[in-house]
Amino acid sequence: MLDAGRHPNIKIMAYSEVEDAKGEAGNFKVKIRKKARYVNENICNACGECIEKCPKKAPDSFDMGLRDRKAIYIYFAQGIPAVATIDKDVCTFFLKGRCKLCEKICKKGAIDYEQKDEIVELDVGAVVIATGLEMFDPSHLTQYGYKRLKNIITGLEYERLINATGPTGGHLLRPSDKKLAKKVAYIQCVGSRDLNNCNYCSSVCCMYAIKDAMLAREHDSESDSYIFHTDFRNVGKWFQKYERRGKDEYGINYIRGRVAEITEDEEQNPVVWYEDTIERKVKSLKVDMVVLSTAAKPSSDAEKLSKMFGYELDENGFVRKNLPYPSDTTVPGIFACGFSQGPMDIPESVAAASAAADRVMETLAGLKLKKRA
Amino acid sequence: MSEDVLVIGGGIAGIQASLDLAEMGKKVYLVEKKPSIGGIMAQLDKTFPTNDCSI
Ligand SMILES: Cc1cc2nc3c(=O)[nH]c(=O)nc-3n(C[C@H](O)[C@H](O)[C@H](O)COP(=O)(O)OP(=O)(O)OC[C@H]3O[C@@H](n4cnc5c(N)ncnc54)[C@H](O)[C@@H]3O)c2cc1C
Ligand code: SF4
Repeated sequence: MLDAGRHPNIKIMAYSEVEDAKGEAGNFKVKIRKKARYVNENICNACGECIEKCPKKAPDSFDMGLRDRKAIYIYFAQGIPAVATIDKDVCTFFLKGRCKLCEKICKKGAIDYEQKDEIVELDVGAVVIATGLEMFDPSHLTQYGYKRLKNIITGLEYERLINATGPTGGHLLRPSDKKLAKKVAYIQCVGSRDLNNCNYCSSVCCMYAIKDAMLAREHDSESDSYIFHTDFRNVGKWFQKYERRGKDEYGINYIRGRVAEITEDEEQNPVVWYEDTIERKVKSLKVDMVVLSTAAKPSSDAEKLSKMFGYELDENGFVRKNLPYPSDTTVPGIFACGFSQGPMDIPESVAAASAAADRVMETLAGLKLKKRA
Repeated sequence: MSEDVLVIGGGIAGIQASLDLAEMGKKVYLVEKKPSIGGIMAQLDKTFPTNDCSI
């Protein structure tokens, strides 16, 4: 991340979106909307004094809403670029026409309430789509109780809880009473492999659930984890060994069974009702907290971008690979990599990114030769 | 003809593609809709299968 920020050949345009595109390989004209941050990126040094004094709060989306941030905020501490942004929808000045506390506090004069969105036009020879994933919202799967019962969270929310820089400083404090959750159940395939929702395996959740349970044990030697899986799909290199280590070294309980319903007792402890498909019995398990391993979907912008550039998506909304060239889309000069193409983990995303970069180089070199001939 | 490249999305995939292209001499525009780059990986603590720190 840091390397990309420092590289002289890379211009990072964050808080920006593609607005319009036309052209063909070697010659695309693209309009980018640089959204107004109301803070001058070149002046702000992320000292954070304005943030301290800002009186308005809003849910912190980086922390999955598990804590609040201010109306003027830094998306996350190590983020690049490291600058503050004003959330216009909650800022008192934008809502009520008064406050301007941040402007008074910023000695560098970085605050600029008059800043406007900027349209930047780029001429590029090739495009790489890397719009990644978004989490599936399990609220409508009422049997799992997400949002209805307090101590039910998603996998990505868990990642923030177990993170030392997260809202609880890395402690698994459950939402209802901020008590340490010692007994945790993980429910696999929530929304995935489901004809009515995401009709594919999200492929990373079996592994991240095992990781999450391992981390819980590393933080607290008394932690007790139960992973309810359809069937484990840990098929990458070293994954089988990882799964076994989870059981043998970390004492994780693997239960093969689909969960039918989650209820709660009077102390808001979730009770997981499931069919043990090996013993063929309906059973229940009371835990302190439940983590839903929710499906990962394509970015909500996937369709908009595919229409703008004219390439196809597959039946699940991921960028269609123009096989046998897995980095190519169905439009020459436009390539894709990472989760935008379908479920893949970090090492696979990195490999796909390097492959896409190589296809860009090949294509641009080919076009140049043709022009010369 | 332009030899510059536009990368849309600043998660690990977009960052890696940008770095590779930049190292091979291309000028890269990396467009990210959130206030900073990093994507999902920036939200993770440790990552499987090595349980190394994510950033
Ligand atoms: C809970 C959870 C835990 C995980 N744990 C692990 C793990 O331990 N190990 C592992 O290998 N993998 C793990 N993964 C998988 C990993 O997160 C993905 O493989 C990886 O993030 C994919 O990278 P990406 O760059 O393709 O997508 P993303 O990380 O999703 O990045 C995409 C970026 O594109 C941006 N974007 C989207 N649309 C637009 C647009 N229209 N314009 C501009 N920018 C846009 C987004 O804001 C985002 O920054 C986990 C996934 C989840 C959900
Ligand atoms: S990776 Fe595991 S939990 Fe995720 S959809 Fe596939 S089988 Fe289900």
